[in-house]
Amino acid sequence: MNLKNKLTTSLFATLLAIGFAGSASAGGMLRAPVPDWTGGAVTCEVIHYVLENEMGYKVKRITMPSGPGVAEGERAGDIDFHCESWPSYSTTNDIYIKEWGGDGSIVKLGDAGPIGTSSYWIPSYLIEKNGGPIKNEPKLTDLNDHVDLFKGMDTGAKGRLLGCPTPAWECRDQDRLDMNGINFKAIELGSETAHWAEAQAAYKRKEPFVLYAWTPHWIFAVLDLVSVELPAFGSVEWPASGWDVDVTYNAGRPGMLTEHPEASQMIMNASITNVQQAGMIKAIDIDGRDIEEVVAEWMEANRDVWSSWVPD
Amino acid sequence: MSELSSTFDFKKPFLFGGVDYSVPVYILIGLLISIIVWFSIGFRYVFPEAISGQFDFQLIINNAETWLQIHAKVYTRAASNFVGYYLEQLEMFLWFKPWPVVTLALVLPALHYGGLRLALFTLFGVLFWGMMDMWDPAMSTLALMGVSVLFSCFFGIILGILCSQNDALEASVRPVLDTMQTMPSFVYLLPAIVFFGIGGPPAAMAIIIYAMPPVVRLTNLGIRQVPETTIEVAESFGSSRLQTLFKVQIPQALPSIMLGINQTIMMALGLAVLAVFIGAGGLGEEVYKALKRLKVGWSVEGGLCIVFMAIIFDRLSLAMSHPKESDMLKDNTEMKFRLLPQRLARNKIAIAFEKLIDIIWYSVAVLGYYFVEGLAILSERLVKIFNKNLALSIGILVRSFRFLLSSLFVIILVLIWDSWIMEIGYFPKDWQFTIRKPIDNAIDSLIVNPYFYGFTKGLKEFIFFYILNPLEIFLIGLPWLFVLGAFFVISFFSAGMIFAMIAVCLLFFTGLSGVWELTMQTLAAIVASVVVCVLIGLPLGILAAYNKTVDNIVRPILDTMQTMPAFVYLIPVLYFFGGNRVTAVIATVIYALPPMVRMTNLGLRELPKQINEVSDSFGSTEIQSLIKVKLPMASPSIMLGVNQAVIMALAMQVITPLIAGEGLGKEVFRAMETADTGRGLIAGIGIVLLAILLDRLTQAWTVNQRKALGL
Repeated sequence: MNLKNKLTTSLFATLLAIGFAGSASAGGMLRAPVPDWTGGAVTCEVIHYVLENEMGYKVKRITMPSGPGVAEGERAGDIDFHCESWPSYSTTNDIYIKEWGGDGSIVKLGDAGPIGTSSYWIPSYLIEKNGGPIKNEPKLTDLNDHVDLFKGMDTGAKGRLLGCPTPAWECRDQDRLDMNGINFKAIELGSETAHWAEAQAAYKRKEPFVLYAWTPHWIFAVLDLVSVELPAFGSVEWPASGWDVDVTYNAGRPGMLTEHPEASQMIMNASITNVQQAGMIKAIDIDGRDIEEVVAEWMEANRDVWSSWVPD
Repeated sequence: MSELSSTFDFKKPFLFGGVDYSVPVYILIGLLISIIVWFSIGFRYVFPEAISGQFDFQLIINNAETWLQIHAKVYTRAASNFVGYYLEQLEMFLWFKPWPVVTLALVLPALHYGGLRLALFTLFGVLFWGMMDMWDPAMSTLALMGVSVLFSCFFGIILGILCSQNDALEASVRPVLDTMQTMPSFVYLLPAIVFFGIGGPPAAMAIIIYAMPPVVRLTNLGIRQVPETTIEVAESFGSSRLQTLFKVQIPQALPSIMLGINQTIMMALGLAVLAVFIGAGGLGEEVYKALKRLKVGWSVEGGLCIVFMAIIFDRLSLAMSHPKESDMLKDNTEMKFRLLPQRLARNKIAIAFEKLIDIIWYSVAVLGYYFVEGLAILSERLVKIFNKNLALSIGILVRSFRFLLSSLFVIILVLIWDSWIMEIGYFPKDWQFTIRKPIDNAIDSLIVNPYFYGFTKGLKEFIFFYILNPLEIFLIGLPWLFVLGAFFVISFFSAGMIFAMIAVCLLFFTGLSGVWELTMQTLAAIVASVVVCVLIGLPLGILAAYNKTVDNIVRPILDTMQTMPAFVYLIPVLYFFGGNRVTAVIATVIYALPPMVRMTNLGLRELPKQINEVSDSFGSTEIQSLIKVKLPMASPSIMLGVNQAVIMALAMQVITPLIAGEGLGKEVFRAMETADTGRGLIAGIGIVLLAILLDRLTQAWTVNQRKALGL
């Protein structure tokens, strides 16, 4: 039966051989992860569009969670660049990027354009204007008047704040509450997804909630939220104050600068504003359109915005 | 029954009316002592910093990782390039070949090994990928699965054979396998990026490691279980050890090896979904993208594709491991139905319908027969010119591969059609449909439905205030020395001295590495989940054992619960229960419930028939006989269900941090977010330790119970 085994093997080999008819060659291919939030995906797609349509590159888009995995990939040389990192939420920039005191195993490739702001928010149906119990332009200290309203099963007699979902972001919500004398407990849900899911369900039931959120974000296209005013950044000691604005940036592996200098220069030049981004986010998340289609349409209509990014 | 006559037995002091109550009594006494200790000595007894501060395991690991990153990367990259090459080839093949080829390649084996019903199910499952517009992701997952399962089985079977020949090797491999199986994949997925890269190759490497244990275990077991006498006979005929191994033992162990491959496939699929965390595409990517944007309908579509893939693989590999059923029933009084349920065998229309299927079946078989016969004669004639003997054996060979050859012929026909006659192209757009909207709408209406929300709220508060919260306060509050002592006593009585020592060392390690409190938190979450599992699963299992209709309804639901990626139901669970520790428990229960129901059902159904008659003759009611006779008799099986529920609950602990779960799993995530391998590994080891501890304890209990019942 030895022959039988041999023939089985060769049969499978031929079957496989039938299928192997050449594979694609990769020339001028850049590998970049797609951010897992819509705003970031838009910023990146804008850059990818220029790389592919004006500079002859092909961008391989990788789906993976934005975060330390991307950094590890860049350090190992498997990812060429990524876009729209938020300094407050990148947990490894102080280890790897020079500008934040890191070892330089990842390089910053200019600012991405969008400016992020973070704060606490409540649903608009809770404010007086809409028949709710809370003042129209609420301050953080006003929350103390409504502790009973915001009580939760897991917070006992205190109010419940949906704080930063991930401890690694170092929002220090509980410290902020304590330093301002707010009788609330900050709850950490563990993932951004859980954070928005809970908010969305509570919103649909018209239940009261206070949550931490940041703009630009697609959640504001779905829910009508009102911000709670925090002490301005710098006016009091951190973390009693609110957050500093996030100047988002692009980054890549050091080899990008030497191997693809023109592409690196273009990524450094590229920049879109919050307003430009918001328009595209709406088209994607509210109208449910395809991201590549939306970005391509916008790029064709706004050639003057980006034509100068491409180095001569 | 001899114990009944003796009035008091010192060895079994808690024997009443033939039932041994010693375990519950010991548990009660233990609980009582713990509660007294808890009330008398403090509430928050933290593991002393003076001890744990001396030991910086985290730093050691991180230094080791840095060293490895510099020195081992060349070799690991070579390995991943090797695997990556095959992965890419297979992916290209699956992507660019017309879809009917892939469909046939899965449906034809299903037809051959599993019959018409399995073939039709496979056809539906495969077309479902196309109909959901997820053909390409499904092909990526298929390629990833194919390559990693192949490598996993190749190395696994070799390792299994080696283990079966050497007791020392087996003993040293066993804890490694335990660790491979229970170490949360999130601990090594991120470091794997540096060593193996991004995307498919590192995912394949991770899957190969994670999915290997079952095939190693079952290969080893299968070879070891070949009866001594068989081996002696082989040896008396003068065969050497190697000959005995390859000609006698391995062929006899084939069913066991196939079962191992089956389990390896299932585990591989589980991880293939999570591999999106290191950039491997496929169905996991679809589910992840949907999860990130809170699109429940979309994620359910992706999840169903995975469920169908899992069920196809499961049934197909099981069918291949069993000997083929004969086409006709042996006594020939009834026709064996191919498609319809056998209970319709007396129905005239059903018989006519099945006759029609039979005719088609046999005409196809005859076609295949003549094709292969022609091929055989042709090849015989051709080879005869050179060598007569070879020609004869080639003829036999071709005929013995009748099914494979005719299947290949059909596939090649399709390929030729595609290349020269008419391009088949992508899966037809007209066949596609979507179920996203109705699912989203259903979820939306449930969110605001006051009755449903009232129910979920009540359940949530019940679990929180009466099970989870007290348990957590209790376990964290117990002095650590007392917990060590308690585990020593429990392990000593259930599994003996050696295991008791190991258990204490394992627990001491968690304290030493500074994760004592997290370990207790995880333990509380697991115990709470298993308690809920038993509360729901036991009655459901009993109901399914007594009522065929309930059984039929419950079975596919359990299949789905077990194979549906947890990511899919995380969002709905969050919508209904809000984000808190209870939500984590509920998600865990969904995942861990199936074995509990199944094993209860199985345990009750497999009881000998005489038991009913005996208890009836004593005039006991059904309820009485259930509680007094049947449940105690089925308890080994039920305990095995508890054992599996515990292990699955532990596996879930690394997913629940995504929805506010606390404890070791969250530590793993926190470590992953800051790229701190040492920290993640410590928490991962904590989970492995808990798994080994709880697994051995529940297993020992099952074994003792079996012995007590004389099984």
